[in-house]
Amino acid sequence: MKQFAWQVVRKGWFIALVIFLWWLITATAWVDPYKLPGPGDVLSTLGALFTERALMHDLGATLLRLVEGFGIGVVAGVLLGVLTGAAPFLEDGIRPVIAGLQAVPTIAFLPLAILWFGFNGTAVLVITAFGTFKPMAIATYSAIHQVSPTLLMAGRSMGARGLFMQRTLIVPASVPNLVTGLKLSWSFAWRALMAAEIVVAGAQGLGGVLELGREIGAIDVVMAVIIVILVVGIVTEQLFFTRLERWVNRRWGLVGAR
Amino acid sequence: MAAALRVIDVSKTYARSDQPALTATSFDVQPGEFTSLVGPSGCGKSTLLAMIAGLLMPDTGSVEALGEKVTGPGKGRAIVFQDAALFPWLTLERNVEYGLRAHGVAKAERREKVQQALRMVHLDDVASKHPYELSGGMRQRASIARALVLEPKILLMDEPFSSLDAQTRVVLQDEVQRIWLETKLAVVFVTHNLIEAAFLSDTVHLLSSSPGRIIKTYAIDIPRPRDEADPALLDIRHDMLERLRAEVTDAARRRAEIAEVTA
Repeated sequence: MKQFAWQVVRKGWFIALVIFLWWLITATAWVDPYKLPGPGDVLSTLGALFTERALMHDLGATLLRLVEGFGIGVVAGVLLGVLTGAAPFLEDGIRPVIAGLQAVPTIAFLPLAILWFGFNGTAVLVITAFGTFKPMAIATYSAIHQVSPTLLMAGRSMGARGLFMQRTLIVPASVPNLVTGLKLSWSFAWRALMAAEIVVAGAQGLGGVLELGREIGAIDVVMAVIIVILVVGIVTEQLFFTRLERWVNRRWGLVGAR
Repeated sequence: MAAALRVIDVSKTYARSDQPALTATSFDVQPGEFTSLVGPSGCGKSTLLAMIAGLLMPDTGSVEALGEKVTGPGKGRAIVFQDAALFPWLTLERNVEYGLRAHGVAKAERREKVQQALRMVHLDDVASKHPYELSGGMRQRASIARALVLEPKILLMDEPFSSLDAQTRVVLQDEVQRIWLETKLAVVFVTHNLIEAAFLSDTVHLLSSSPGRIIKTYAIDIPRPRDEADPALLDIRHDMLERLRAEVTDAARRRAEIAEVTA
C-alpha cells in the first residue's frame, strides 16, 4: 500500500503541479475565463457533455470508426506487406509506392475521400483505414525481412516450402515486429481519424464535438473533449498495446529467456 | 556396403572473398558411422555441412546422400543447429511435430512419433512448454528430437553444443553417444572442440583455414561407451593440436614470404 502511494506520487507529481498552476491562474483571474476556463469548469462541462449531449454516442461512433478503420487497414496492410515480401519483382515494384504514399500525410487524402465517398462518416472511415494501411504494410514487409535466417533454414531443412512456409513460419516469426507495427499504425489511425472528424464535423464523433465547441466559442467543451481523446489514447496504448507487446516478447523469447 | 554420404571434390568461394571458404574436399560417410568435422573458425566446416544439408550449393563437385545427388534439403537428412533454432511461438511438442506437418504426415501418426522422439531425449514431461521456459540444454535436446522425428538416415549437427555451459555440454555429449548407439544413424558432427570430436567419432576430419581444407583424418576405434578422460583420446587431441599449431606457423611463414616479395 505504501509502495502504491509512493508510485502515485512519483508518477503523478508533475501532472498535479500542472493542474494546480492551471487552477491558480484561472482562480486569480489572471487570464480571461473565456480564453481559459478552470479545471473545475472543464470537469463539470465534461460531466454535462456526457449527461446532456450524450457524448457517449459520439465517443462510441469514434471508437467504432477507429476499430473498423484500423481493422480494415491492418488486414489490407498485412496482406500487401506479405505480398511485397514474397518475390523480388513484387518488392521492387510495390515497396517504393508504399514508401511514397507514406511520405504524404494521410489527411491530405481527405478531400479526395470526400469527393469519392461524400461529406460523411464513410470518408472518415476510409481515411482512418488508409492511415493504418500504409505504416502497417511497411511494418509487415520489414518484419518479414527480419525473420532469422537460421529459422528459415531450419524450416527449409524440415521440408517447409511455399505457402506452408509463409503460413507456419514466416508470418508467426514476424509477430513481434508486427505488434510493434500494429502499435505504430494505431497511433497513425488515431491521428488520421481525429483530423478527418474535425473536417467532416457533421458526422457523429469526438472530432465533430471539438469543432462544434470551436464554432460556438465554448472553450470548456473543446478542452473537455481533448481530455476524452487523451484518455482514450492512454487507455488503448497502455492497457492494450503495451500488454500485448509484453506478452508477445515473452512468448517469442525476446525477453526473460534463459 | 554403399556409403550413406559421399562428398566429392566439393568447393565453395563466397562472393566478396578472395580466399575459398573450402577447397576441393572429398570424403565418405558409411551407414552408421559417426564422423566429425573439426577445426578453427573459418575452416569451412559449417559451409561443408550446409552443402551436405542442401542449404547451400557447392561451386564445384557434388554431394551424394543415400545414392542420390543432393539438390536441396531432403527427408533423409536432418539438421541440428547451433542455437537450437526452435520456433519460439510453438510448444516443444509442436516444434517436434513441425517437420512431420511439412511432409503431410497424418495427425494420429504425428502424435505417436512426436511422443517417441520426445521420450528419446527425455523431454516427454515438458512437451507442452514453450522454448523460452526451458534451459539451453533442454532446447538443444528438443532440437535433436525435432531432427530424429523425421527418421533420417543421416543426422547433421552444426556445433550443437557450442553455446552451452561445460557441464551441460558433457551431459549432452553422453546423450548423443547413447542416441547414436540406439539409432545407428550416420552422423556428421561439426565442432571446434577437439576432445568432443574425438570422444564422439569413428572418424575425425581435421580442417584448417585460409583456405579451408582437410589436413588430416583420424580413425578412432576405441570401444564405446567411451570416457572423455581416456588417455588414448587425449593423445589424439594432442596430435590434432600439434597439426593445427604447425598450420598456424606455416601460415605465418607464408604471409611473411608474401610480405617480403611485395616489399
